[in-house]
Amino acid sequence: MPPRVDTRAVPLHLDVQLFSSGLGAGITRPPACHISPQPLIATPRLLPPWQPNWPAMKSIGVRFPDASLCESDGSEIEPSFDAIDGGLFCSPRTSTPSRPSKDNAHTRVSVPAEALSISDRLFYLLQPPIETLLSGQELVMPFEPFPFQYHGIAWLFSQGSALLADEMGLGKTMQAISALRLLMRAGQIRSVLLICPKPLITNWQRELQMWAEEIPVIAIEGPARRRRMLWEMPNVPVKVANYELLVRDLEMIGEDDFPSFDLLILDEAQRIKNRDSQINHAARSLKRQRAWALTGTPIENRPSEFVSLLEFLGAVPDHSVNDIRQLNRLARTYVLRRTKDRVLTDLPPRLDRDELLELTPAQQTAYLTAERDGIVRLGELGESITIQHVFELVLRLKQICNYDPLTGESSKLERLAAEMEEISASGGKAILFSQWTKSLDWMHQKLRHFNPLIYHGAVPSSRRDAVLERFRRDPDCHLLLMSYGVGAVGLNLQFAGYVFLYDRWWNPAVEDQAINRAHRIGQKNPVFVTKFICHDTIEERIDQVLQQKRELFRAVLGDSEVSNTSLSLSAQDIFGLFDLKTGQGDQLRSITPPPAELA
Amino acid sequence: MNGPVVDSRTFRIGFLAALETDDGAFVAGLLVTNRYGRPLEFQCTSPVRPTHAQKLLYGETLRPFLLGELMGRALLDRLGSPPDLLVTDNDDILDLRHHIAIPMARVEPLADEAGSATTAPPLGRVRMGRRILSIHSAHETDIAALHHGATQVTAETDLQEPLERVRQALAETLQGQQTGNPGGPRS
Repeated sequence: MPPRVDTRAVPLHLDVQLFSSGLGAGITRPPACHISPQPLIATPRLLPPWQPNWPAMKSIGVRFPDASLCESDGSEIEPSFDAIDGGLFCSPRTSTPSRPSKDNAHTRVSVPAEALSISDRLFYLLQPPIETLLSGQELVMPFEPFPFQYHGIAWLFSQGSALLADEMGLGKTMQAISALRLLMRAGQIRSVLLICPKPLITNWQRELQMWAEEIPVIAIEGPARRRRMLWEMPNVPVKVANYELLVRDLEMIGEDDFPSFDLLILDEAQRIKNRDSQINHAARSLKRQRAWALTGTPIENRPSEFVSLLEFLGAVPDHSVNDIRQLNRLARTYVLRRTKDRVLTDLPPRLDRDELLELTPAQQTAYLTAERDGIVRLGELGESITIQHVFELVLRLKQICNYDPLTGESSKLERLAAEMEEISASGGKAILFSQWTKSLDWMHQKLRHFNPLIYHGAVPSSRRDAVLERFRRDPDCHLLLMSYGVGAVGLNLQFAGYVFLYDRWWNPAVEDQAINRAHRIGQKNPVFVTKFICHDTIEERIDQVLQQKRELFRAVLGDSEVSNTSLSLSAQDIFGLFDLKTGQGDQLRSITPPPAELA
Repeated sequence: MNGPVVDSRTFRIGFLAALETDDGAFVAGLLVTNRYGRPLEFQCTSPVRPTHAQKLLYGETLRPFLLGELMGRALLDRLGSPPDLLVTDNDDILDLRHHIAIPMARVEPLADEAGSATTAPPLGRVRMGRRILSIHSAHETDIAALHHGATQVTAETDLQEPLERVRQALAETLQGQQTGNPGGPRS
């Protein structure tokens, strides 16, 4: 049952009162309107203006210094000269037009690794291609370089320390001269010192005249007082001196007072291969910014010779010990080497032949007697034997192979005379090398009808250039007799088509250097090289040992590197030329080199 | 306006080129050489990156303004001495000609030179060295400077090559800035 809800009744009646509000009248009344003018906006309001706001630009600038080699003396410049930038480089036009560069040949200068600042890097990056610099009219070149030479020039340009080790005959001289010329033109260097062997001074002067005739050059020579003056003479861009003179004058002037140079070039730099030599010390003590070494044989005998060169260049500290891997790594940075077979495929060939000869009867008698007596004497020396003793016997026997001292008979001379008949009949020219000046003088007498010329150490320096010039120009001079010592380095004799090695040198690298006097850039004809070897003599045995070494190195290093390796005879090799024994009966045993001479 | 009177001893050519980076910045460089291409002076800018607003507001005029009027003129102002002729291979940079008095020319691409090796270039174009150059259509008087320039350079001269050098140098400066390499003299 739902709960009960209480309810209550509420009345809904409400009291209402009415009163008058006046609203009724207001509703019926029309509204009152008032009109008043309102000011309008004359100009629109703008948001804050926007203006282009570019940040201040920073920039990097590089100014390229301009070289000043020949100061204008105010005289009028001939119309045939190209005066560039105010007469700084006066390069006459030549009548020999240079070959046009290949269209796409652009050899650029590379940025050296040690160039850290951006301005240094930009300096190298902004250089034009070497072909542009050298083939244009700004720097006249007598001949157009080969592509590999452009590369060499560009490489030298960017190297503070460099070893240019191109094989002999590839134009190291020209590349060095062209690179220093460009560095001067770019204002990077102003003073150059070139050190070379004495016989090459005039050669360098000639090459500088040919490839950089606008650069003044002086040779340091003469009495001490004059030399001091020349060393101290300012405003001479290139000075040339020889190694021995450098040693003397460095002592004379003193290391501290000796002038410094922007660029130091060592030609035939293997001259400083001995770390303890005076020449090495003198070269390393010279103050310079850049250093280049030129040599076709950076290693003649031992890797330590290469280390000496690196020490000179500043690539390694003095007296450092480097293993082969380190040397390989350093070589990649500091060494540029090309060989003829790789880069000069157009060079006429070199045709080598060994002329095996039998000794004449008189030579045979003298030879056998000397050999027998010599071996007996060496055997008697026993343990006191030294390599010098063996050397003396070897040299005596080789001299007999050249000619018999008693009778003058010589199978080599007979053969040579026969060859020279053909060569002179065809108008050709031949160079002959021997290690003995006595042999050369003897041949000079015997071969008079070929008008031979002599060029060895006994010829005064002042006459040597005349000898070469006559050999070059005189059509009746068919034979030049040279010693390995003075004739093997640096001379250009590429007009000779025949080379005779009358007797062999100990080191094939030196023989190659001698042959490359003729077989080099500029040679237009094949070069015939004849090596005289007397059969069944010490010469043949030496040749066989060297052949074995050459084969061994070729097997290890490949063809192109054979000429660069150590191929000279070791003490063991020299002792092995003779079957030397000491003792008697059961005590008989072989004689070997002393331990000190095996090092 | 006549072409400038220049001494053949001091004829200077300016090469103006620019690079755009991956992040939309621009750098420009100006290389001044003698008539044989040997460098005399080089100036290049730091990277300039337009903002989004600038890109919108400038529209198609952004590149000519940026590369020519802004950066090109700034580089010219910083030179020790102005070149006698300015060369570029960029149409946007060529617009700089409206703002300077130095004659300007554009190196024509090699493709446009087909058949022109032995025939005379059309009007407004001159062969200088191995390349054909053209002037800005609004500055026809520059043709006189081009003709004079053609007598100053050798027939083997390639006027495109220095522009490549400029771009390589610009790439080097950009790389240097990224690696924090110490810079050279700044102006």
